Amino acid sequence: MKKIILIMLAIFPVAAASAQEAMPVASSSPTPKVSNATPATAADVDALRQQVQSLTETVKSLQQQVKDQQAALEKANLTGESGLPQNPEPSPIAAAENSPAPGASAPPRFPTEDTSVVASTTAPAVSGTPAPGGFPTTDTSVVTSAPETISSTGVGASLTQPITIGGGRNYMNISFDGLFALAGSTARDLDHIEVGDHDPQQRGFNARNIELALDGAVDPYFEGFANIVFKLDNDNETEVEVEEAFMQTTNLPFNLQLKGGQFFAAFGRLNPTHPHTWDFADAPLVSGRILGPDGLRGVGAQISWTLPTPWYSQLILAVQNGRGGTGFSFRNPGDDGIFFGRRTTDREARGLQDFVWIPRWENSVDLSPTQVVLAGVSGAFGSNETGANSRTQIYGADLLYKWKSSHAEGGFPFVKWQTEAMYRRFEAGRGIDQSFPVAETFHDWGIYSQVLWGFKKGWVAGVRGDYLHMTDSEFTDDDERQTRSRISANLTWYPTEFSKIRLQYNHDFLEENFFLAGRDVDSIFLQFEFILGAHGAHKF
Amino acid sequence: MALTNFKLMKQIFLILSTILACAFSAEAKLNVVATLPDFGAVAREIGGDKVNVTVMAKPTEDSHFVDARPSFVVQLRTADVLIDGGAELEMGWLPPLLQNARNPKIEVGKPGRVQASQGIRLMGVPTTLTRAAGDVHALGNPHFMIDPIIAKAVAQHIAQAFSAVDSTNAATYDANYKKFEATINSKLQQWGTTLLPFKGQPVAAYHESWVYFAHRFGFNIDIFLEPKPGIPPSPSHLVEVIEKMKAAHVKAVLVEPYHNRKIAEKVAASTGAKVVDVAQFPGALPGTDSYVALIDALVSRIAAAMK
Repeated sequence: MKKIILIMLAIFPVAAASAQEAMPVASSSPTPKVSNATPATAADVDALRQQVQSLTETVKSLQQQVKDQQAALEKANLTGESGLPQNPEPSPIAAAENSPAPGASAPPRFPTEDTSVVASTTAPAVSGTPAPGGFPTTDTSVVTSAPETISSTGVGASLTQPITIGGGRNYMNISFDGLFALAGSTARDLDHIEVGDHDPQQRGFNARNIELALDGAVDPYFEGFANIVFKLDNDNETEVEVEEAFMQTTNLPFNLQLKGGQFFAAFGRLNPTHPHTWDFADAPLVSGRILGPDGLRGVGAQISWTLPTPWYSQLILAVQNGRGGTGFSFRNPGDDGIFFGRRTTDREARGLQDFVWIPRWENSVDLSPTQVVLAGVSGAFGSNETGANSRTQIYGADLLYKWKSSHAEGGFPFVKWQTEAMYRRFEAGRGIDQSFPVAETFHDWGIYSQVLWGFKKGWVAGVRGDYLHMTDSEFTDDDERQTRSRISANLTWYPTEFSKIRLQYNHDFLEENFFLAGRDVDSIFLQFEFILGAHGAHKF
Repeated sequence: MALTNFKLMKQIFLILSTILACAFSAEAKLNVVATLPDFGAVAREIGGDKVNVTVMAKPTEDSHFVDARPSFVVQLRTADVLIDGGAELEMGWLPPLLQNARNPKIEVGKPGRVQASQGIRLMGVPTTLTRAAGDVHALGNPHFMIDPIIAKAVAQHIAQAFSAVDSTNAATYDANYKKFEATINSKLQQWGTTLLPFKGQPVAAYHESWVYFAHRFGFNIDIFLEPKPGIPPSPSHLVEVIEKMKAAHVKAVLVEPYHNRKIAEKVAASTGAKVVDVAQFPGALPGTDSYVALIDALVSRIAAAMK
C-alpha cells in the first residue's frame, strides 16, 4: 500500500508537469488567432519554462527517492504488519510483475524469509542470509520467536493428554457420548439373549450407554480419568455407574506405570475398552458370561512394565476387590443372594486370596509396514461366594491381526481380525451353611472371532462367530448356564469419527440342557451414536 | 577347580563387556523419532550420520489417521528426541503412544521434544470451534512444512534440540543446519522463478492442505473437492466445484496419494484441468526422499500442469 502511494506521488507530479508543459505549447499557437488579448511575452514564456524545469527536477528527485526507498525496503525486507494473503512486501513475483519500471536496476526477488509465518528464530529478516538471487529467505509474518513459545499447545499443556480441543486451554478434556439402539427380536426376553449390560435389553429403543468422560493431567506426576455412565433401564429409570475413575503415573523410571482407582481389568482385548469403541452392537458371549455383564472391573491397583525388548512386550498385574456384579465370577453375591443356584456368602476379604489377581502379558510385532499382530494371555484368580473356600480361575488368550493400506485415507481401507478364547474353572460350593446339596466344579469355556473390513472411507462390514460351552449340571437351572452360539453380521457407517450408524443382525442358538429347552432367536439392531467434545484417542 | 572357575568368569566378563561396548556404541547415535516423514527428512539433513531417524507415519497415508501400533511404543521408549507437529495433526494417535512409552526424555518442555509448530504462525485458525465445519484443527492448519521458509525454522529448531541433547556434536548440527538453510535459500530463487508466470492463478485441491504452499508461491487455492475438511466429496458439491473451476479457468487439481484419484479425474475431465499428483511428505512421490527433492517435484509438477 505504502509503495503504491509512493508511486502515485511520483507519477502525479510527472503527469502534472507534462500537462503543464503541453499546455503552453498548445495554447501558444491558437491563442493569437482566437484572441487578441495580451500576447505572451518572451519573459513570461521563459518564466514558465523555468517553473516547468524546476518541477521536472522535483519529480526526478522524488522518483529517485522512491527508488531508493524501494531498494531500502527490499534490502531490509520489512514485512512488518503483514496480513498474509495480501503480502505487503512484494513477493518476488509481485515485484517482477508490478514494477517493471525499475526492473533493470532490481533483479526479481523471491522472498526466502517470511516473518508472517516464522518467528524470529533466525534473528529476523535483516540478519538473514541474503540470498544470491534476491528472493527473500525470511518471513517474519510466518515465524514467531521459537525458543520461548509453545504457540501450539499452550504453555504447560502436554501432548501426553488425549485429544484437546481449544488449543489445550483447559485443564481437563470433557466429552459426552450417547450410544443408542433400536432393537427387534423374535425373543420376548432380549435381556436374557443379550449378555452385556450395555447391550440392547428390550424390543424398541434402548439407551444403555450414555457416558461422560473426563481426563487430563493431574499434575506433573499423575493423570486422571473418569467415565461416568448413565443407563436407562427398561422402565426408563436412570441408573448411574462410576464405570471408571482412576489415576495413573506418568513418569516412573524403568518403564513402570502404576494405576489406582476403579478401572477395567486388562483382561484380553475387549474387556478394558468401552462399548462405544466396540465393533459390534453387543458384547460377545464369553465376555458377558465369563467375565460378567459389566465386564471385569473394580476398585484396585495395577502395575505395568514395558519390557526392554526390541518388540513390544508388556507385563501387567492388577489386583481388585472383585466384589459384587462387576467381579462377576468372583466375590459376587448374585441377584437376590443366589448365584448358580447357591445361596451365597457375602463376606469381607479374609486375606490376599480373596482379592482378584489379574496378570496379563501382551506382545506385538509388525509383520510388515502394513500388518500388525498383537497377542496376549491373561488370567484372573480369586475366590467366589458359593462356598467357604471355593475358588475361581479364568484364563484367556487373545489375538489381533490388522492390515491397513499404506495409502489409507481416514484409516480406510483396513482388515481387522480379532479372536478371544476364555476358560473358567469355577468351584461351586455348597452355599452358605452348606445349604446346597452338592459341590461341583464347572469347566466353562468359549471363544469369539470377528473380522472387520473397512472397505471404503467411513464404511465397515463385519462378521462374528461366538461359542460358549457351559458344563451341564443337574443341580442348577440358572439360565445363564446354557451352552449357546451366535452368528452376527453388521454394517457400520461412520460419517466422521464422532458419529456412527450401525445395522446388525444376530442369530442365536441356545442348546437344550437338563432344565432348559433349546431355541433359536433372530435379532436385529440399529445402533446410533454421537460424541461431543474432546474425546481421548484410543489405544490400538 | 578354582582356576577353571576363574577362567570361566573371565570369559563371561569378556563377553559381557563386549555386549556392553556394543550397546554403548549403538547408543552413540542419537535416537530420533519423527511422527511424520517431513520432520524425519529434515531431521536426517540436520543429524547426518550422528542420528538414527525413525518415522512413524508412512508418507503415502493419511497422517490424521495413523494406527497407534504398539511397535511405536518401543520406538518412543528408547527415543532421545521426538519431533512432532504439536498442532493436533497427530492427536488421534500420538497421545496414547506417549502414555504407554513413559519416556521422560521426550516430554513436552524437555530438550528432547521438538514440537515443530512452535514459533510458527499457523494459518486458518478457526474463530469458532464447531465440528459442523468438518475436521477443523483448533490451532490452525497443521500442514505447514510445505512452506520452505517454515521448514527452515523447523530445521533450526531441530538443530537446537539435537545440540541440546548431544552437545558433543553441536558443531555438526549447526553446520548441517547452515547448509540446509543455504540450500533452501538458493532453491527458493529457483522455485520462485519457475512458478513466477503462474502467480495469482487459481488451483483446485482435494483437501485443504496447501494453504502454506499457496501463500509462499502466490497461488490462489480456494476450491476444494471435499465440501468440508475430511468430509468425502458429494455429487452436488462436485457439480459446484466443476462450475467454479470452469468459471475461474482452473488448470490443475492437486491430489495426494491417499485421496480418491478417480473423483479428481472426473472433475478434471469435465473442466479441462489436469490432475497433479502431489504429496505433503518426502518419499510419497518417486525420487523425493529428501525435503528439497519433494519441493522440487511439487514445483515442477505444478508448473508443468499450469503451462
